[in-house]
Amino acid sequence: MAFPKPQATLRSATGIPTGRLAVWWLLASEVVIFGGVLGSYLMFRLGHPEWADAAAVTNTYIGAINTFVLLTSSFTAVLAHQAAEKGDGKKAAGFLLLTIGGALTFLMIKSYEWTTEIMHGYTITSNGFWQFYYTAAGLHALHVIAGAIIMGIVAMDAYRGRELQRVELIGIYWHFVDVVWIFLFPLLYIAK
Amino acid sequence: MAEHHDGHGQLDTKSDKGHDAHHGDAHHINYKKIYFTLLALLAVSIIGPEFGIVWVTLVTAFGIALVKTQLVVNNFMHLKWEKRIMKWVLTTSLVLMGLMMAGVSVDILNHEGNNWENVAAQAAVERGLPGHEGELAVEEETEAEPVAAAFNAPQMFGLVCASCHGTAGDGTGPAGAALTPPPANFTDPAFWATRDRARIVTVIREGAPAVGGSPLMVGWSASFTPEQIEQLADHVMSLRPGQ
Repeated sequence: MAFPKPQATLRSATGIPTGRLAVWWLLASEVVIFGGVLGSYLMFRLGHPEWADAAAVTNTYIGAINTFVLLTSSFTAVLAHQAAEKGDGKKAAGFLLLTIGGALTFLMIKSYEWTTEIMHGYTITSNGFWQFYYTAAGLHALHVIAGAIIMGIVAMDAYRGRELQRVELIGIYWHFVDVVWIFLFPLLYIAK
Repeated sequence: MAEHHDGHGQLDTKSDKGHDAHHGDAHHINYKKIYFTLLALLAVSIIGPEFGIVWVTLVTAFGIALVKTQLVVNNFMHLKWEKRIMKWVLTTSLVLMGLMMAGVSVDILNHEGNNWENVAAQAAVERGLPGHEGELAVEEETEAEPVAAAFNAPQMFGLVCASCHGTAGDGTGPAGAALTPPPANFTDPAFWATRDRARIVTVIREGAPAVGGSPLMVGWSASFTPEQIEQLADHVMSLRPGQ
């Protein structure tokens, strides 16, 4: 690095590396954001029996394929971490690229799914179910996009053997995005 | 990087699972095994609801989501080996969110209480559930308005719309038989699951492409006044099952 690192990045009062501490704090706030959206959806859904008709329209198989894609990308993310732990930056970058591939696959499937639904007239203004459907899955998709971009940056550094600890940090974030989908899947696709 | 390894060095001693072949692999987790377990659980969560039994669906869908989360959080995110303070921070976040949800739940789950009534929510349920009597009363009031006399919406529907949508509005009009996608069936509850009156008005006025539908349903704003379109929409609404 051309610049000396800020002191805080080298200090660890909690015994947790500063970067990882920051990621956990970020996730603590994400818990409230996604928990809030999903919790609200669950309560509204229980109060609106008529939403079952709308929920019956969502495509369980597309949801399942996307769950598979995200689980697989989580697997490659943890393998990237494993490689980084061993100091193999090139291998870590390779696994991160595979993870980005997973993110892009997820987004492509999601675009196809949303396009089909919107063409059939199910938009964010159709009713309460679709409002939650597009809000929750949309917020999640934004996290997928953000994660893919950051992973690209981390992968470029890791390939040159720099900042290998960041491979674990983006991994932790990515697993969280996976966990959110693990709950979105039954809520939006399975519970008809 | 240095402090990172230090942190893990400390933790490694606590998480000894017997194999030491993978030196530097922080927690000796068989990631492949975890991954295949997750896929197996995914399969169960898809197959479970196929039985159509409520408790099986709940357990396989939501119970398994919790198990999958636990597997990912512990083995992929390594929270199991993280310092206790981080577990407390995340738990606090979860608990506070849960408290807030519990606090507002009575107002969201119920649509009326001793001294209050959520009229909008009740109306949404009534609109959505076919055959509700409350909606019928509203329809009758609308029909009884004096303006209805000058322009006869059901008659106009028979003249203009029925050729495709059928006299009964069930989508079986003679001209509609060859159309792809087929004309809307206003007597189908599934159709109404995602439609409301405002949407019907928009489609009559501007045509179905305005809401992403078939270009074969053209707009009628040139033929009818906004008021007449409203009345046509009322008639279409009255075709819903149970009305």
